[in-house]
Amino acid sequence: MAELLRSPTGIAGTVLLSIVIAMAALGPFIAPYDPQTFHPIARLQGPSWAHLLGTDQFGRDILSRLLDGAPSTISFGLGATLLGVAAGSFIGVVAGVAGGAVDSVIMRLVDGLLAIPDLLFTLLIVTILGGGTGYAMLAVAVAFTPGMARISRSAVLSVRTRDYVLAAQARGESWGWIVGFEVLPNALSPIIVEATIRVAFAIMIGATLGFLGLGAQPPSTEWGLMVAEARQFMFRNPWMVAVPGIAIALAALGFNLFGDALRDALDPRGRR
Amino acid sequence: MTEFTISRRGVVIGMAAAGLAPGIGLAKAATPKDGGTLKISHSTRIATLNPLTLSGPAEYPCIDMLYSGLTRIGADNLPRPDLAESWEADPDARGFTFKLRPGVTFHDGSPCTAEDVKATYERILDPDQAASARSVLDMIESIEAVDDVTVRFNLGIPYADFPFSTGHANARILSRAALAGPPEALETQANGTGPFKLDSYDSAQVTRLVKSDSYFQTGKPYLDAVEMHLFPDLAAETANFLSGNMDVMLVVQQADYARIADSAGVEAQRVPSGRYVNVVMRYDVKPWDDVRVRKALALSVDRQLLVDIVLEGLGRPAYDNILSPEFQYAIDTPTVSYDPAAAKALLAEAGYPDGIDLTLGASNRPAIRAQVAVAIKQMAEPAGFRIEVETMPHDTYLANVWRKGGFYMAYWGMQPTEDATFNLLLTSNASYEDTGWNSARFDELVEKGRATVDDGERAKIYAEAQQLILDEIPYVIPFFEDVLTASRDGVHEWSVAPVSRFYYIEDVWLDEA
Amino acid sequence: MTLGYLVRRFGAVLLVLAIVTFAVFAVTMLLPGNAAIMILGEYGSDDQIAALEKQLNLNRPWWEQYASWVGGALQGDFGMSLRLSLPVTEVVLPALANSAALAAVALLAVTLIAIPLGAYAALHRGKPADLIIGLFAYIGASMPEFVTATLLLVIFAGPGREFLPAGGFVAPGESIIGFLSHVALPATALGLVLMAHISRQVRSEMSDVLASDFVRAARLKGLTERRVVWRHALPNSLAPAIAVISLDIGYLLGGIIVVEEIFAWPGLGRLLIYALENRDLPVIQAVTLLLAMVYALSNLLSDIVIAAFDPRVRYG
Repeated sequence: MAELLRSPTGIAGTVLLSIVIAMAALGPFIAPYDPQTFHPIARLQGPSWAHLLGTDQFGRDILSRLLDGAPSTISFGLGATLLGVAAGSFIGVVAGVAGGAVDSVIMRLVDGLLAIPDLLFTLLIVTILGGGTGYAMLAVAVAFTPGMARISRSAVLSVRTRDYVLAAQARGESWGWIVGFEVLPNALSPIIVEATIRVAFAIMIGATLGFLGLGAQPPSTEWGLMVAEARQFMFRNPWMVAVPGIAIALAALGFNLFGDALRDALDPRGRR
Repeated sequence: MTEFTISRRGVVIGMAAAGLAPGIGLAKAATPKDGGTLKISHSTRIATLNPLTLSGPAEYPCIDMLYSGLTRIGADNLPRPDLAESWEADPDARGFTFKLRPGVTFHDGSPCTAEDVKATYERILDPDQAASARSVLDMIESIEAVDDVTVRFNLGIPYADFPFSTGHANARILSRAALAGPPEALETQANGTGPFKLDSYDSAQVTRLVKSDSYFQTGKPYLDAVEMHLFPDLAAETANFLSGNMDVMLVVQQADYARIADSAGVEAQRVPSGRYVNVVMRYDVKPWDDVRVRKALALSVDRQLLVDIVLEGLGRPAYDNILSPEFQYAIDTPTVSYDPAAAKALLAEAGYPDGIDLTLGASNRPAIRAQVAVAIKQMAEPAGFRIEVETMPHDTYLANVWRKGGFYMAYWGMQPTEDATFNLLLTSNASYEDTGWNSARFDELVEKGRATVDDGERAKIYAEAQQLILDEIPYVIPFFEDVLTASRDGVHEWSVAPVSRFYYIEDVWLDEA
Repeated sequence: MTLGYLVRRFGAVLLVLAIVTFAVFAVTMLLPGNAAIMILGEYGSDDQIAALEKQLNLNRPWWEQYASWVGGALQGDFGMSLRLSLPVTEVVLPALANSAALAAVALLAVTLIAIPLGAYAALHRGKPADLIIGLFAYIGASMPEFVTATLLLVIFAGPGREFLPAGGFVAPGESIIGFLSHVALPATALGLVLMAHISRQVRSEMSDVLASDFVRAARLKGLTERRVVWRHALPNSLAPAIAVISLDIGYLLGGIIVVEEIFAWPGLGRLLIYALENRDLPVIQAVTLLLAMVYALSNLLSDIVIAAFDPRVRYG
């Protein structure tokens, strides 16, 4: 952890990430207004003392909506990544450990799926499932799975022939034990680093889906949806676009910086 | 801003409620000039030019330029002569005879005769082919081409509104050759009798139409060409219109109207129309089987506030009457005030003293549906309605909610007649019946009304039908939305009919030709 | 790198594309609704929908539809767009050209700006310039395109400051100035993320090279710093940069969907969204296939470039 705070990237990432997580944890409780309440006499206003970040087309308080939307926006990124990492790692570990025909069939399929750009893949899945936050999260997770499978497989392959694994095999431990207690813990750090950076990505894709009308739906306060709803009014009140837009960027930035710093800290050789 | 109430029998009133009504302004006094290209911006694709089936907002102006019908609906909501010079009803309204203009030709030079009219209508009535106008024309029993310029329709029932039906925007006359040809050809080619002919069609960018020299109104059209430019993004469309790249913005969004109307060199128009958003509350789904619950919801909607915040003031509050004041037989509808306390009491009386949990479905296209849903959720909360709004992509809505769900937002344009409106939604065998109301009395009244020729008698029948609607509240209809459009100074006679499918672009001319 | 390797890689690409078409087909079959319902929308009655389904051949079993699609596609016939009543090739090819124009401008601009920036940052490691470039790169990588694009619109195309058109398209053949003014904002929105990525990559490659033995040797020989950088360090860090750029083409393809939608650029991305909304299966198929093909080929290209420039990489 001390390693992490040594570089400017690490400090900035940790600080930003703490802010973002604090917002996600406390946002709805510290919001000055109910995020859904209309203030018909104060519509489309810029910042004022009453509304620190202005109001939207219904006169709803933008700051309150931003705070209220933090948990759903951030948990979308975390949830999608977690699901994708879990599924991907499982597939990757199976392929890496089993080897042979199983490995090559799985990896062919993974390559096939990797040939579709992430956003396109997600779009296709979301349109089948029918949109909405839950399905959007599932879609991002599915889109992440092949990439994570590939990374975890190579992580597994790199430790598979290490002495401690061979030793465990010689001891006659079961495969399940070896994978759980020898292979996974040692293959974990590249997976964690990749996952952290992917959270940033998942937040961005989730917001993009919300923006395209395929993710969160009104009256949700998800940040991408806030930008989408604001577009109609962006020239009348630019704050409506700028506030959630910049919030998305800062959240993604936090995870990106933190992930990179984490990589440097865990793998001194890779530091650049 | 004044709002004209357009009555069918009233003076033929123009549309511009935005101040300058045509005929009052200076524009009308000037002599039209020939020439020039009119550039119209729109934000939805022109996916097809097939007059039988198309339904896109930017597709209607195209066929209004390319084709003619027997009749055409004017700004006054009355049928006007188009290909038909005149028409005559049998005394019992079970037969209509149309006299066509002599010597009309299609763009390829071939004559347009009664046989083409007959072939077109037979195609519309063919149950194996898609045709949007069929639902208003299915009372036709047979069609006779009496001679080259005379067509007679024999109807299965008395139907006084028939000349409105022949003015249906999708009942444009096609040539027999086109009807006999491959059906796909209609999608991308056009051989009509309208004021403009097709020059190039590109659904992704610009569709260009040029003046037809053989148009039957001599001296028209004034314009040399019309270009329909697609701007899928509204912000881009607005910016291009305001910077002068475009002459006309076909549809203006409420959010942009004030800004556009205030811009120099621009004339924005708001046309009061009978377009509405309606809350569907199916009778066969609990709790809507109880009229008190429906009434409670009606009392929980602040209609003026909805007009102000969703329509930006560009509309009129409505009080659940499906007929807007523009309709000839519309009755004076009493105001329904926002009264959550009374609504709460009604809910309690209906057996929901602790309120009620509901899910309101809404498509995300157009955005207005979700906006109204979200606003209703907020407004109805004090009365005890705990509504969860479920907004979804349009395809999901069509597949899962529309005409299947019990509580959702629908959105409809104005129909030309009372009968068309009732038969679209409210009668038991309406084309898009989605209330589950099945009122025998209402069906009977509508049936009687359509067969009645006497005005006074009809007014009475339709008044009773509307009273039935107000008592039963099959839908909550919170407002009527204005149709909004804009043109640059120097564009004269640009107008949109309240039913927004007729444009009369042959009358439009430019200062700088 | 051997011929056999190339043949195998190409084979893999073909296999991948076959998987993609089948996946897309299966996926679109599962979608709710179909093209007939979407075309007629809320305002089509049941008999109209049935008539249109028949006309569009949607009432055949899915495997029959797929087989006839594959049969046609192998002969270059991708069928008719269900919504636009035009052959798919006539819809897709112009869109491809427009997307390619946008992507080319974005990539060119990015390459010209990002490589010098990355090199500059590497040469000034730890100095303020490096940190600023690094920060910029991080911010660029953290802004989704729709945010960048919307902010660009507000800043450069808002009322009263219409410096650039807010969207639309002018063919370069029609007016080169018109084309450039229309491409400026979408290309910027697309390019920012890539610029961040590529400049970071160049910086790190260049840092490695600058620390390597042969650069140290060159310095020891007394070569001028400029010569060391331009003759030794930069060329050696370019191969990885090119590899990254070709990999980023895939990323570009994702970004292009949103950017084209926002700026009304009539390319593949817009077409895809339109086709998805309208359940226009043949168009969805063709666009996805095309995007996957470009993606797979750019990955292949990046591998080849790395292999060709770097003697350490060997493929059997």
